[in-house]
Amino acid sequence: MGNFCSDVKGGQQAVGGGNQAIGGGGGGYSAGHNEAVDFFFRAKGEHALFTPMELSLSATKLRDRDIMSKSDPMAVVYMKKRDGKLEELGRTEVIMNNLDPTWIQKINVTYQFEIVQPLIFHVYDVDTKYHNLPVKTLDLKDQDFLGEASCVVSEIVTKRNRSLTLNLHNRDGRGLKNLGTLTVHAEETVASRNAVEITFRCSALVNKDLFSKSDPFLRISRTVETGGSIPICKTEVVNNNLNPIWKPVCLTMQQFVSKENPLVIECFDFNTSGNHQLIGKLQKSVAELETLYQSKAGANLISPSSGFRRREKVLKSEIFVDRLVEKQLYSFLDYISSGFELSFMVAVDFTASNGDPRNPTSLHYIDPSGRLNAYQQAILEVGEVIQFYDSDRHFPAWGFGGRTPNGSVSHCFNLNGSPSDFEVEGVEGIMAAYRSAIHNFALAGPTLFGQVINKAADIAGHSLSSHHAKYYILLIITDGVVSDLQETINSVVRASDLPLSILIVGVGNADFKEMEILDADNGDRLESSSGRIATRDIVQFVPMREVHVGQMSVVQALLEELPSQFLSYVRGRDIKPLNVPPASS
Amino acid sequence: MEKPSSKTIEITIISAEGLLINKKQPAKKTNLFITVKTDPFNSRSTGLGHEGGSSPAWNEKLVMELPVHARFITVEARSASRIIATANIPVSDFAGGHLPENYLSFLSYRLRDASGEKNGIINLSVKVNGTGNGRCAASCSRQWMGVQAVGNKVSGGIVTGIPAAYRY
Repeated sequence: MGNFCSDVKGGQQAVGGGNQAIGGGGGGYSAGHNEAVDFFFRAKGEHALFTPMELSLSATKLRDRDIMSKSDPMAVVYMKKRDGKLEELGRTEVIMNNLDPTWIQKINVTYQFEIVQPLIFHVYDVDTKYHNLPVKTLDLKDQDFLGEASCVVSEIVTKRNRSLTLNLHNRDGRGLKNLGTLTVHAEETVASRNAVEITFRCSALVNKDLFSKSDPFLRISRTVETGGSIPICKTEVVNNNLNPIWKPVCLTMQQFVSKENPLVIECFDFNTSGNHQLIGKLQKSVAELETLYQSKAGANLISPSSGFRRREKVLKSEIFVDRLVEKQLYSFLDYISSGFELSFMVAVDFTASNGDPRNPTSLHYIDPSGRLNAYQQAILEVGEVIQFYDSDRHFPAWGFGGRTPNGSVSHCFNLNGSPSDFEVEGVEGIMAAYRSAIHNFALAGPTLFGQVINKAADIAGHSLSSHHAKYYILLIITDGVVSDLQETINSVVRASDLPLSILIVGVGNADFKEMEILDADNGDRLESSSGRIATRDIVQFVPMREVHVGQMSVVQALLEELPSQFLSYVRGRDIKPLNVPPASS
Repeated sequence: MEKPSSKTIEITIISAEGLLINKKQPAKKTNLFITVKTDPFNSRSTGLGHEGGSSPAWNEKLVMELPVHARFITVEARSASRIIATANIPVSDFAGGHLPENYLSFLSYRLRDASGEKNGIINLSVKVNGTGNGRCAASCSRQWMGVQAVGNKVSGGIVTGIPAAYRY
């Protein structure tokens, strides 16, 4: 049983239930799509950090390249990597003699919310002599090029019907001839929307501990064709109890595959050493669990055969299903493509600790050669991703800790210098407002976030009355630790029940240890000075310096928690995607 | 003397975490219930806690009248007949300000025992079913006794006092 966590509190948590963060708990591991890491997490039964999607391609009005017949088209899909190189994602099959093909072969792509994923499509006419060869082996240089199209993955998924039609053009965009169109349709790979929420209870469990009662938890695994089983989830540990009731676990169809698929349910006694002892087990499919729920009967646990005993022993301990409910778990994509909008807001640190902007060592130095400083980089990277999801492109932008022209220090001034209007247009508008603000506002201090957070919370709160499906994201870029942590905590707690997420980027070399309290990833909920406790974790803090050491970009680290924070808001309120009809019982 | 219109609130007591009896043992779920008071004479209580999970859960909705001038509601966790922890919830946290009418607020508060020590967290949700004016009690500026402490300024905010001797 060595694959359980060794930290006791962490080890006692429930893992893998589909209702939890898509993102497997946020903060900490993984960078981008790493297949080895992905397989590891899937083997442990945890969700991967991205959504696997299938692209279906079709084309119309392709050029006719063959003399005697029509073209035999095939499409190839590439992903453009950060260094500009193209990585092939897959190819469709070859369709004979067709200028308006609809390919059957799907291309798999992993949709990652937090990075810009440019796709390039090439359509080729495959020569007859290659028709009987597997598509993979074809050398594209030998084929006739029919056209190229490009787009970004998020462009496809934000469309209501998840289909995007592109015009095909020549490579390098030379020539304006009409080469036809390509339509790309994206779908999530497995119907993981269907889920089942089950409340398990056990009675008369056997005592495995010496001086107290057992600390039982359940582990649920799915049997695989090769004969083994893959754990898909485990419940939390209930201490010192032989008749435990666990919190409901949520299993997605992706995890249990089908209702007839047998699941292995094992009941262990938790030991801090990691050597958990098996109390009993049972094999039941989801359909059988449904029957158990309806009949309100219990099923006896079985103790497997061991060295002393050849046969299995049926125990007096029983397991019951107190509740079993089918649910629809909509994913982050479901909401976005149905019309939910993300709204971006920025706040920039104007405290003196950044250094005089005229000095090249300052974090606010505007390099005439065009090299972006840390602030500009963060605004550009995060803004570029989010602006796909923010249709009106009006972004509130503020500065804090700066001295206004009338001499007073403000902790929430409009970056564009206007006394009343805090919005700018597009990411380029934020960059322009930032550049002029550096000239117009003197750096001062101290570092206080409370006012900008309150302002963002006001905006998010006001949007609730107008019934627009909007979720707000406040990006705070700072070089130092907050002077008044409790003030910030109070503002965050007050905003914790609103459709708002706060992303904080730490630039420069300060020690940001204290700021990690705001991130609440260790499970300690933030408490305000008035006794109110944060409803949910809405902060993600990333120190830029640490991130650049690894492979992950700042924006990936920052936006890693965003889908799960968004989902915690909508699921907690039972808000469904906009195009879903109201629930019928 | 017209009677000011009062609103009704729906409070759903969801669950509580980390409640201890006598600072040592976790409270037995099946003896615990929660009482909500909008003023000293108006209270409603939940039933006894369910055995679900390791912390007590009720998921029970209480509907109460909220007097127009109420600034706080009090939530008490009781075991048998004893109050083991309380929390005071400012009305401004779930009504008025930037929140729209009929907004469902999910809130959590620190519970403290009779001596002011921390004793758990209570999770609940509140919805105000307003009638008309749309202004909540917390935004009414006066109507309470006592002398204003600071000159002519009325700040209108809510302050929660915690006895200094027991601060953390």
